[in-house]
Amino acid sequence: MRILVADDHDIIRRGLKELLTSRSGWEVCAEAKTGREAVMLAEQLRPDVVVMDISMPDLNGLEAARKIRKSLPKTEILILTLHFSDQLVREIVEAGVRAYIMKSDADRDLVAAVEALANHRPFFTARAADMLLDGFVRPHSAQPDPDAVIRNRLTSREREIVQLLAEGKSSKEVAVSLGISVKTAETHRANIMRKLELHSVSELVRYAVRNQIIEA
Amino acid sequence: MSDWRSEGTSGIRGEALGWSICSLLFVILWGNMPRVLIVDDHAVIRRGVQGILSTYPEWDLCGEADNGQDAIRLAGELAPEVVIMDVSMPGMNGLEATRIIHDVLPETKVLLLTLHSSSEFVRSAFRAGARGYVLKSDAENELVRALNVVIGEGTYVSPAVDARAAKESIFNN
Repeated sequence: MRILVADDHDIIRRGLKELLTSRSGWEVCAEAKTGREAVMLAEQLRPDVVVMDISMPDLNGLEAARKIRKSLPKTEILILTLHFSDQLVREIVEAGVRAYIMKSDADRDLVAAVEALANHRPFFTARAADMLLDGFVRPHSAQPDPDAVIRNRLTSREREIVQLLAEGKSSKEVAVSLGISVKTAETHRANIMRKLELHSVSELVRYAVRNQIIEA
Repeated sequence: MSDWRSEGTSGIRGEALGWSICSLLFVILWGNMPRVLIVDDHAVIRRGVQGILSTYPEWDLCGEADNGQDAIRLAGELAPEVVIMDVSMPGMNGLEATRIIHDVLPETKVLLLTLHSSSEFVRSAFRAGARGYVLKSDAENELVRALNVVIGEGTYVSPAVDARAAKESIFNN
């Protein structure tokens, strides 16, 4: 089985590789340091599984996962995070990711999760599984107005721009990096601020940190 | 403090080779390989350190702990030459454990391996008795170099952290 490992920290990639290759027949076919690199390498190499950190520069793991699922529906994705977040579980599932574990549990969960994915079965860290099950059993508990949720949901492009803005890029730099006009970038920016009810870049940065789009 | 910088002009690998003379000298003088205890609550980091050290056979990874208490107990049992220590751990944190190991085993050098680059952290690390400070993001390139520096009785700080603040605290000690 061929596995792509994506994390911006060399030592974490090293550790993930050691844990994964302890299983015979498992091979780490490539390593990526950013979400963009992960998408590019996945499309090139078509690995069976992508093991990916959520906080990576340039393009985070969640956005990378969405892109990979779109172009390679057979490639399964495992997301790793440092901290647990309810909000994130929802977004991870919506992105088509079928395995989510905590970095702190990697020794116990990593091999089991990749094994489940190899058989196209999901694997979620216990807390996330509880939460998903809870939502399934009591779907109407404390849910906000669904119309409002859909209206205010960010598009894929908008989420990409949230990360670039939170990384300190100006509208002009965002436009250059995504190959769009400055005017379009500014429109996206205004829509993002309205949908997220934010009023300044520092609030946007806080939002991005809280949702693990960027690292604090 | 800055002598390791003058060693290598031929790239990172060259510097690492230059410094492995320290560990070789250690082997010749003491008749055994320098032993390292790794302390981190994340197994993935412990495996990463193991992976890095596996390419340097002169270093002997003698034990692992995932919290401060076990680190102190194992350090007492094994008396390793170096303890590689994480800072943020549940229960007793790495700074507290460093302080105690430094007190009980003054010969054992503690090298902190952490995500935190703030100068306050560096200051409290050296105040607690640490001899080295490496950022996790730089571990791949710097860990072995740092091990060689601390075992050669030197002090190592990742160039990326606020070196000035660190130096202040070293000189005030």
